[in-house]
Amino acid sequence: MAWDTTESDALHERALGFVRAFEAGQAMPESFDALACDLARFQAASIPGVARLCVARHADPQRFRAATDAPAVPTEAFKVSRVATFPEALTQVTFRTSGTTLGARGSHPMRRTSTYDAAALAFGRWALTLGTPPLPERSPVLVLAPSKAELPDSSLTHMMHLFAGAFGGAGGDADFFIRDGVLELVALDARVSRALVRKEPVLLLGTSFAFVHLLDAVGEAGFRLPEGSRVMQTGGFKGRSREVDAAELRRDLASALAIPGRSVVSEYGMTELSSQFYEGTLAGHALAAGVYVEPPWARVVPVDPESLLPVKEGEPGLARIEDLMNVDSAFAVLASDRVRRVAGGFELLGRWPGASPRGCSIAVDEILGPS
Amino acid sequence: MLDARARVERLLEGARGLVHDAVLAEEIARSTGLSPGGVSLAMRRYLERDPSPGEIAKLVHGATPSSQVHVILSANVFTAPLRALAVACAASIRVSVKPSRRDPAFTRALVRRVPDLEITVRDAVDAATLSDGEVHVYGRDETVLAVRSAAPRGVLVRAHGAGLGVAIVTGGAALEEAARRVADDVVVFDQRGCLSPRVVLVVGDASRGAAFADALALELAAWEPVAARGVLDRDEARDAARYVETMRFAGSVARGDTYAVGLAPEGMPLVVPPPGRHVHVATVGELCEVLGVLTPIERLVVAVGTDDEAALRAVLRPDARVRWSPLGQMQKPPFDGPVDLR
Repeated sequence: MAWDTTESDALHERALGFVRAFEAGQAMPESFDALACDLARFQAASIPGVARLCVARHADPQRFRAATDAPAVPTEAFKVSRVATFPEALTQVTFRTSGTTLGARGSHPMRRTSTYDAAALAFGRWALTLGTPPLPERSPVLVLAPSKAELPDSSLTHMMHLFAGAFGGAGGDADFFIRDGVLELVALDARVSRALVRKEPVLLLGTSFAFVHLLDAVGEAGFRLPEGSRVMQTGGFKGRSREVDAAELRRDLASALAIPGRSVVSEYGMTELSSQFYEGTLAGHALAAGVYVEPPWARVVPVDPESLLPVKEGEPGLARIEDLMNVDSAFAVLASDRVRRVAGGFELLGRWPGASPRGCSIAVDEILGPS
Repeated sequence: MLDARARVERLLEGARGLVHDAVLAEEIARSTGLSPGGVSLAMRRYLERDPSPGEIAKLVHGATPSSQVHVILSANVFTAPLRALAVACAASIRVSVKPSRRDPAFTRALVRRVPDLEITVRDAVDAATLSDGEVHVYGRDETVLAVRSAAPRGVLVRAHGAGLGVAIVTGGAALEEAARRVADDVVVFDQRGCLSPRVVLVVGDASRGAAFADALALELAAWEPVAARGVLDRDEARDAARYVETMRFAGSVARGDTYAVGLAPEGMPLVVPPPGRHVHVATVGELCEVLGVLTPIERLVVAVGTDDEAALRAVLRPDARVRWSPLGQMQKPPFDGPVDLR
């Protein structure tokens, strides 16, 4: 019997209602909790693992009243199990995480990428193109990451393609300047030089480790971008390049690229989600660097690492991420990052203080390091 | 002057004097997070006090004489300094040791017990300033890497990094007996040793794996009043909660206040739980499938415990540098050299 998409499609439409309202500058069409609870009920009914999590917590989905009533699915579950409400045959795309020592890659199958795309574009436009002055429409978008041809299952690459197409108007492989793991500095320089001549601000997107390579490559000479340019940097560096403190990277990038520090915007996202978070330093937000802003359809809730219950306001906790765009997987995801709520958003924190590993038994984060 | 064998025996004599030191036990409980019962268990049953003459002879024979040996202890179980110092004393009459900053008590107490061995306790060892001899470094990969890169030419660095143990219950094993023995291996040091089993592969069908997991959970629960689990730090507690939630989602988990036994469904990729009495049980249909299942973590495995070593050796790589032990003996390898054989 064919799987009935009616309920899922209706939930997608409700999720898209949040995106449309945000783009139109209108009030949200319904409460976050209302859609969250309906998503949780749908997912508990469709995914046996979610139902088991509810049973273990003695939580009856029919009685959910608030988003935090629903259990969160740990990101590890995406590595060892299929987290999807629908049959495999209906999969439109599967995004995968990078590999770890254990070899298992997290998978996030999607039945409808259009919801992901709409949310990513709406909030990416807000975070990266607004401000004073805004980034002109059809500004060149240059990407320091491998293209879709090289990484067809990367959600980050997918998002960067979206941005290149929507904000820059091109979106082809020519906008991507990492090929076979090598930064194509000459080609990038040619594109930036052209933009300098035309006085066209650019949007430069890339992973942290790619930017570290760029900084190492250009050295003291720097790499001036046209005035008004913006940078979005994302992701970690572990095992991929020399490690650099985030604040130091921002400072070095601003200096080398000759742009203000607030024009270097960090993004926080993950394969297991359909929404992203950005520092609100542009778009007219006078938030400090390091403060990530949520779109109206996603929340980051710090939880106690043992009880998994929300901590008091302002206390650090494990990131429980509630994402209304995750219609067909897990609306609540338990990440391994440590976060804290602050005015306007949340901060990403490092490891728990004073928690150096005890004993010679190998630690989980060593096992789960990049392969 | 004592010869190598006599130095090792002298050290063992010193260790015997520590077993009933109540003040030391309290200090160790504070610094390691183990419960007093856990410290007592480790002291009584797992501190090597009376190795056989053959084991000592092998340890001494395996040591290469050196002008001096500097031992760097960072992340180890608290009894580990005895073996580390024995290996060093077998190699040289000039030995210095830098105890773990967090758990220095056992090392300092042991050294105080054997003043005639003239072991120097240092707060730091700068490998770059050494001119000859050996550095024996025990710790995590980053510690080992830092020492290796700092040591000048002419100084030999012998490294013993972190790892984990795997127990394999073959098709012929009695499940309840195997579970009792695996629990013995899990409980001591709260699984913080590199020999501690964190993954158990049960040969047989799914019901056999489930029966073993149930039996193991009962055995771990039974240990609690005898040697309670100590305190988990925040990272360990976080990893434990995540492991439990992951297994609830993907398979099943038997959980008590101080332990968790996860049971993987057929075909699930291998997961390694955190230390702290957390065991991941997976079922393999045939013994010959064991190597394939272990491949992703093969380089991390330093100890294999099993009820049928001969059968298992036939299917694992012959050159695997791991400690082989019967179930229940994984934390008591022969006192014949470094604990991890690497």
